[in-house]
Amino acid sequence: MNLYEYEAKQIFSEFGIPVPPSVRITKIEELSKVHFGYPLTLKCQVLSGGRGKAGGIKFPKSLNEGKEIAKDLLKLEIGGSKTQSLLVEPRVNIAQELYLAVTLDRNKGPIFIASAEGGIEIESSHNVLTMPIPYPYHPFVGRELAEKLQLKGQALVKVADIANKLYKVFEARDLDLAEINPLIITDGGDVLALDGKIIVNDDSIDRQKSFAGWQEKHLDELTQRERRAKLTGLNLVELDGNIGILCNGAGLTMATMDMVKSFGGKPANFLDVGGGSDQDKTLAALDIVNENPDVKVILLNILGGITACDEVANALVKFIKRNPNRTLVVRLRGNNQDLAEKILADSGLKLIPGLEDAVTEAVKKSKTAA
Amino acid sequence: MILVNKDTKVIVQGATGKMGGTHTKRMLDYGTKLVAGVTPGRGGEKAHGLPVYDTMAEAVRETGAETSVIFVPPYLALDAGIEALNAGIKLLVVITEGIPPQDTAKLVHYVNEKNAYLIGPNCPGIITPGECLIGILPGSIFKSGPVAMISKSGTLTYEIALALSDAGLGQSTCVGIGGDPIKGLDYQTLLTLFDKDPATQAIVLIGEIGGNAEEEAAEFIKANIKKPVVAFIAGQTAPPGKRMGHAGAIVSGGKGTAQSKIEALAAANVQVASTPAEVAKTVGEKLKQLTKA
Repeated sequence: MNLYEYEAKQIFSEFGIPVPPSVRITKIEELSKVHFGYPLTLKCQVLSGGRGKAGGIKFPKSLNEGKEIAKDLLKLEIGGSKTQSLLVEPRVNIAQELYLAVTLDRNKGPIFIASAEGGIEIESSHNVLTMPIPYPYHPFVGRELAEKLQLKGQALVKVADIANKLYKVFEARDLDLAEINPLIITDGGDVLALDGKIIVNDDSIDRQKSFAGWQEKHLDELTQRERRAKLTGLNLVELDGNIGILCNGAGLTMATMDMVKSFGGKPANFLDVGGGSDQDKTLAALDIVNENPDVKVILLNILGGITACDEVANALVKFIKRNPNRTLVVRLRGNNQDLAEKILADSGLKLIPGLEDAVTEAVKKSKTAA
Repeated sequence: MILVNKDTKVIVQGATGKMGGTHTKRMLDYGTKLVAGVTPGRGGEKAHGLPVYDTMAEAVRETGAETSVIFVPPYLALDAGIEALNAGIKLLVVITEGIPPQDTAKLVHYVNEKNAYLIGPNCPGIITPGECLIGILPGSIFKSGPVAMISKSGTLTYEIALALSDAGLGQSTCVGIGGDPIKGLDYQTLLTLFDKDPATQAIVLIGEIGGNAEEEAAEFIKANIKKPVVAFIAGQTAPPGKRMGHAGAIVSGGKGTAQSKIEALAAANVQVASTPAEVAKTVGEKLKQLTKA
């Protein structure tokens, strides 16, 4: 779950990381009540990256100019994400910009990523250092990191303290990413998180009480059906083809999509029904794929390990009753396969045991079905 | 065969739960030497005939087992894993899906400290056909034979095992390493074990998009592995930036694509099959070449 900048800064602040004073506004008129003096910083609050480049950060010099700019910014859409609100902050004088983040590396576990150049796109920068974070954590780690950034004296101590607190946020709130970009040192020697990004780990949200109920307002990048699938506990990713694909297991679903493509068809989606899915969940999955107007054929590929084929068959019977004209290709093999065949005997649906045969059939039907 | 055989004694952590219970019964039916269950607060009860203990320390003391399989809920898995390691478990198989990755990172830290092995998490487990099944794999699909499998995906492993078994190619040991970004045993360690295993003649590596484990495995195979390796990579049609079901299956910043993995493997002389059936066909050809040579 991606958080908005203002939310990330609130959380940083709770953990003692210094952030600039700010006010969040959703209407132009609210700008009159902000008394930071000019020039001001106005920043679009969106979940997408690349905000600066897209013109989502402006520095008006007066209230009048501010109102004009705010009007435009509140309408701005960045990377498909609509601006919900603006964050208003005083403009600060920057002596140095840094980059600081904590994330999980697949091989090394938690790591610091840091750079003595801030405000950059970290993926394309060369001046970046990574440092594995030892477990259990000790505050000297922050000082070592600051020293590697070639900081000295008070700046070293202040940046080290922020690094330590950033790790604390990362661990305590189960984050995938805690990023400050830029972390700035002001003319006066203060160190501030000027921008913040937080990604909360999706598997951890249920044990993070402070994020309870947040998921729904942070699913901006998903389509309506993807959103509904996510809230039903299904993994749906939509593509632009016409063969709806439902399988159990992520690897098998991807492999089925790949085969559809290499056999000359076009997958409309990835939908992993998950292991051990019952009738209701399978039916919900069928319904979601069925609603996609681009879908001509639904290919269901279930290899019953934990999943019982008879549960899937019961879902299919109900689905066919409601959608008699839908073209279905079903490959069902494994646990309780014989029961499934009996259940489906009167439905007119023929089960195809071989995967390649089923994919071939689905591709053929996607080119002929209305 | 590697890691597990007919003499491997196994403790089930979470044997009294719904999923743990179902699979305890299936593992017993398969012939796995399960010796105990552990559920705090349920000590003294029985689960499918197995004695249940409150703690891992007691279960290990009473049974002498060095292998444990974890079915506990995601937020309890780290504690259960560390408890097992402290009790002397040397092979930990974690089936649980949805464990917070920072918990897994901590578990991996303890596993390394104790010189133990971790399989998973979010994996189907491990099977040496005819001898020992630990986890949730459907035992009937697997047949005993000379082909080893290492896989990130559960059902895709079954699909390919089915294709192998249908083609008369049995398996030595199959290990599901799981689809999470942070995990225990990796391709390299298992490739090394299989390369030394006299029962294994060929190795099937099943990978998917995300990370660079397959690329690293390719380098490793080129430098170290003598037995033939056949690979299958899932996710060629996956759009960038989208998580494809598994927590680890995501192409981000142009990295972790199926294409990059396939090219790296091909450059290491690993044949990459494009369908599960083709995996079986290719393995069959490799084995034929071995008998001729």
